[in-house]
Amino acid sequence: MTTSARNRSPLLRLLFAAEAVRAAIWPQRMRPATGWAFLLPAVLLVAILVAGMAYMVDASFHELDRSTFRLTEEYSLTNYETVLERPFYSTIIIRTVLAAVIVTAITLVLAFPYAYAMVRTKRAATRKLLLIGLFLPFFIGQVVRAYGWLIVLGQEGLLNSTLTWMGLGTVKLIYTYPGVLIGLVQYMLPFAVLMLAPAVTAVPEEVELASDSLGAGWFATLWHVLLPMTKPGLVAAGVVVFTLTITDYAMPEIMGGGTSDFIASAIYDGYFSTDEQGLSSALAVLLVLGATTVVGVVFALVGVGTLGYSARRLR
Amino acid sequence: MKAPQAKTVVIWTVVWFNLIFLALPTVIVIVASFTAGNIIQFPPEGLSLRWYASLVETDSYSDAFLRSLYVAAICTLISLPIGTLAAIALARYRLRMATAIQLYLLLPFTIPLIVSGLGMMLVFGQIRILGQLWPVGIATCVINIPFMIWAVASAVNSLDVDLENAAANCGAPPLLTFLTVTMPAVMPGVITGGLLMFILAFNEFIVSLMLVDARIVTLPVLVYNSIRSVITPDLAAIAVVYIVVALATIWVLDRLVGLEIFLKSK
Repeated sequence: MTTSARNRSPLLRLLFAAEAVRAAIWPQRMRPATGWAFLLPAVLLVAILVAGMAYMVDASFHELDRSTFRLTEEYSLTNYETVLERPFYSTIIIRTVLAAVIVTAITLVLAFPYAYAMVRTKRAATRKLLLIGLFLPFFIGQVVRAYGWLIVLGQEGLLNSTLTWMGLGTVKLIYTYPGVLIGLVQYMLPFAVLMLAPAVTAVPEEVELASDSLGAGWFATLWHVLLPMTKPGLVAAGVVVFTLTITDYAMPEIMGGGTSDFIASAIYDGYFSTDEQGLSSALAVLLVLGATTVVGVVFALVGVGTLGYSARRLR
Repeated sequence: MKAPQAKTVVIWTVVWFNLIFLALPTVIVIVASFTAGNIIQFPPEGLSLRWYASLVETDSYSDAFLRSLYVAAICTLISLPIGTLAAIALARYRLRMATAIQLYLLLPFTIPLIVSGLGMMLVFGQIRILGQLWPVGIATCVINIPFMIWAVASAVNSLDVDLENAAANCGAPPLLTFLTVTMPAVMPGVITGGLLMFILAFNEFIVSLMLVDARIVTLPVLVYNSIRSVITPDLAAIAVVYIVVALATIWVLDRLVGLEIFLKSK
């Protein structure tokens, strides 16, 4: 091997040199551990998150001492009781969960035809246009998109200027709950379409044609063939949109302007304006538990969908 | 066979609505950025490039832009090796507790960003690196690493194991097989993942909000702070910078791997 390598290109010689270094530090007998060595950096990276979570869980069990404004030493469940008792928190929780349900429903209804058209269109240019239409907002980021919505929906914005010009008066959407929902649906659409598209691709077009030729109308085909067959994608998209909405911060803050705070705003405020870190941490822990429970129940009922790095690969 | 008319009408009505709905804020921002007036209104008050000029002249904006680039670069450089190796390990090696590890590596997706951000703020504060810029790059890498693993894992999946076995059979040692057979085959996934990591870190807002202070503010946080005070047209010019960066990323992604990769069924 080495003799032939010497006559080869510099690149190949470099590769064989690297191979020799590899053999010195990672000999043959270490082979069984290679997979673990590959995984270790990623595991350590995510460990930062776990450590952070541990701090939050710990803080959630310590009540605020009002005389010193520090967390007390003793462990207690007081913070959790306060979160569940204070009407302020239940209002915010109900508002957030309701928004997540509405946004998930609307987003899925809008995303499915888009994913379908994108996958099934015969024209490459149309497909490209639809893909770019999806990726452009996806790659712009939430803050900048929210800013765009402020310009569209604001008092002097495009919508109201147009309405006034048509003599129809104005609508107030900025700093309202519906305004937040509009911003959220637009934010979630690319996520949902990108999770649905592979599921639509996985349905062979012949199946639809077969359903057609057997006399099913297009709606019957949609209802009895397409939707059941794309269920993994619908589940994955629904779960992702729901959890992203229930935990969102920027959209309610910018579009709601303090009128429609979500759970994340309450958690943030506890840390940075009202000095109730323990209480905030308890709310955060409940949010994680709540979101995980919803995901777990959905997965238990209808399967994991297209989420995860796919179990099929693990032979 | 022709599709029924009602179906075509319904689908394309929704698609057009979506396209307009998705593009409206973007298009409006571009229009607004060229206004000559001091406030944003419709129709705009004349055309000018003055807000772009003010963007270049304002140090705080260009500094924040460079900081965001720095954060995105760190995030991408760390995630490329870490995510690629993890994805190959998950897809290629028989590991005990593989399912548990998969779930563990999905934690950045299942823990809400606000909680991840606060948690990392506490950790970074404890080890006294809070207030520096590079930890923000690490943080954006932590929260987005599943995207990287995902992108590479689906590429590994489409690589035939027999190719690697054939290389080994012909006498290629492990590292050579890895570099000349495995890596080229998963490259589309690596590129896709790397670009996703870059653009997501460049746009990252909520976690940065908790990790930066006034000295090291990143561009999204600066925009957010400005929105909360006065909405001036210079923000529209910044937004156009974001649009340009996004378009450039889409172009690179399309040229190198093709956007259609996202339509593939796994």
